[in-house]
Amino acid sequence: MSRTRQLMDALRDSLGSSDPLPAIPVMPRVPAPPARVYTPKPERSAFAAQAARHTTALVGIGHVGTRYATDVVLQFQAELAVAHAAVSAELPEDWAEQNGFVGVRSRVTSHREFLLRPDLGRRLDDDSLAVVRSRCDKGVDVQVIVADGLSAVACMQTGKALHEAVVRACTNRGLKVGTPVAARFARVWLEDEIGQEVGAKVAMILLGERPGLGTGDGLSAYVVFGPKLGNTDGDRNMISNIHLRGIPPDDAAERLAALAAAMIAQRCSGVTLDLGRLGEVAGGRGYRAPQVRQKLVGGAS
Amino acid sequence: MQLASTIRGVSYRFASVKEVLAKANPPKSGDDLAQISARDAVERVAARAVLANMTMRELRENPVVPYEQDELTRIVEDELDEQAFRAIAHLTVGQFREWLLDIDTSGGTLRAVAPGLTPEMAAAVCKLMSNFDLMTVGAKCEVVVRANSTLGLPGRLSSRCQPNHPTDDVEGILASMREGLSYGCGDAVIGVNPATDTAESTAEILTAIDDVLKRNGCPTQHCVLSHITVQMKALALGCPMDLMFQSVAGTEQANKAFGIDIKLLDEAWELMKAKGSTRGPNRMYFETGQGSALSSAAHHGADQVTIEARAYGLSRRYKPFLVNTVVGFIGPEYLENGPQISRAALEDHFMGKLLGLPMGCDACFTYHATMSQDELESLKVLLGTAGCTYLMSLPVGDDIMLNYQSTSYHDIPTLRRLVHKRPTPEFDAWLDAKGIWRGDGPGPKFGDVEAIR
Repeated sequence: MSRTRQLMDALRDSLGSSDPLPAIPVMPRVPAPPARVYTPKPERSAFAAQAARHTTALVGIGHVGTRYATDVVLQFQAELAVAHAAVSAELPEDWAEQNGFVGVRSRVTSHREFLLRPDLGRRLDDDSLAVVRSRCDKGVDVQVIVADGLSAVACMQTGKALHEAVVRACTNRGLKVGTPVAARFARVWLEDEIGQEVGAKVAMILLGERPGLGTGDGLSAYVVFGPKLGNTDGDRNMISNIHLRGIPPDDAAERLAALAAAMIAQRCSGVTLDLGRLGEVAGGRGYRAPQVRQKLVGGAS
Repeated sequence: MQLASTIRGVSYRFASVKEVLAKANPPKSGDDLAQISARDAVERVAARAVLANMTMRELRENPVVPYEQDELTRIVEDELDEQAFRAIAHLTVGQFREWLLDIDTSGGTLRAVAPGLTPEMAAAVCKLMSNFDLMTVGAKCEVVVRANSTLGLPGRLSSRCQPNHPTDDVEGILASMREGLSYGCGDAVIGVNPATDTAESTAEILTAIDDVLKRNGCPTQHCVLSHITVQMKALALGCPMDLMFQSVAGTEQANKAFGIDIKLLDEAWELMKAKGSTRGPNRMYFETGQGSALSSAAHHGADQVTIEARAYGLSRRYKPFLVNTVVGFIGPEYLENGPQISRAALEDHFMGKLLGLPMGCDACFTYHATMSQDELESLKVLLGTAGCTYLMSLPVGDDIMLNYQSTSYHDIPTLRRLVHKRPTPEFDAWLDAKGIWRGDGPGPKFGDVEAIR
């Protein structure tokens, strides 16, 4: 061995390269941490009890180190999964006809395109335009459209019931309602083209809203007076969070019918519509009721 | 100016600086939606090659929206610091990138040069930089601001506490806020997005938050993020207001869609200087995000990174205390997935800091974007190491009003421990006194909401 090699080995030794590695520590006893459960029982924390009366935010959930308890992680993942499932669901092609609607679709051809091209989701494809022209009543007061939007799950769950309730509420007010239409891959503004084609005074689209955590079943309704291509968001009034834990469909239908009647009376909608003359029933330009959080993860049953 | 380059013998020509800037961008669904992106990866590199040889002076002379058409372009041009500009005017964008990355270019130097940079320059160099490059330069920028407390000092990572509520139930807002404070969150601001956009509601929420902060001697700032005209009315009602907020975009036309212009922002700023409730000097809070101009068809054919930088060019006029990009909120039609959202977050942080802003980020996704929770957690670490001034914080990251996923009350202390950072010095001392956070770990009252009265 060369002198240089000897010197380098000695140097490495002096830096600790031959020192024994740390020994594996003695096996400890591992006590189970105290039970932590999602949604702290109100009796366990005065704060959680007080907070739960005012908010659905996940407060008072405790921590392990700086992170969440396992139960909280599972609840969170379940809520996330529900939201993602709602977004990725598609409205079956035959859903409309099977549920008594005239089925139409936008110019979108795939689910990914639906997410990436809102412009295509706002226009009818050629076949659907012909269908609207040939099968829908013209010159109506209110054209109602049910649509998938960002949650086909919500549409399939509550769409039909909400539609029926809206038709009832409008008819009770003496409004003439158009042929039931259900649209696939639809964005809000699709109501403009459909409403314009049938010459409706008011168009109303009821569509799945962008899901929140654990809530893939909400519908939103957007209402516009004088539907035509070129209308913008400022021209519309809306009600969101329509589902059984938020605004029940029957309540929402009353508000929507009241909005439609007010629009026809005032001949406008959106920012210029005077809601003061509507009373409590319409609930403002964009009313949102609080929702209730459900525990999603349980044991075997 | 030559707008052409050659890749493997194939030559590429571009019609304008704006086109070069757009095609040099990494892939973004929003640029595809606007139909201005490069047709493939090779054309993208060709555009970058052209950009690398363009000088800073040429970029100044070619703003993506003409001077005559846009008041944002006009204030940037008219108020540019000529001395700072002369220091870098001769550099090509490629040279500027190398100068930024040079170890000898310090944070102090970058701060001195910032007033001489136009947004287009910041956006241009951004397109030549990898994520690591963006983080390296972002981390050395130093932007320190003060309202009640001092934000942006080295080794600090702050957070906005965002106790939103779908119906503005004040008790619900305060419950969430107290929880956040008990996890050491909220040193940047207690900021509420209200569900009701009225002056009375804004004043009511601000007053309630102010009471809690005063009662607990908590050194931070508060803000209710209603429209700026609503906040101006609330201020006239006589409520406390530490910071005034507005969403801003990168063109005059896009800001018009937000219901604002420079004249209105000037008025609001003057009002805050007279009536704001902090010692200052920084009193404004702005939020931005790639894609907002395109969403109102007000992008003038320019790409969303460049337009985003222009929103910072407007913001810096008002010496803000906070600016953050709400990066994943706008949806997949502008930023499709985890890689695009992460890239945009690092771009925005870098460009904002380079232009001299105390840049934070709402690292977030909506549930219709393709980003996993793990990807979002990784992004928080990237931002933490890139020197991001502040992140958001909410219970489990879940905004129960706006329905999207952001940073959580648990994430902030976790991240501080991982990247060895602390809150603002004022807040740090307060947490210590309350027993919530001691040194670099939880104290005996960590997560105990009873510590906040």
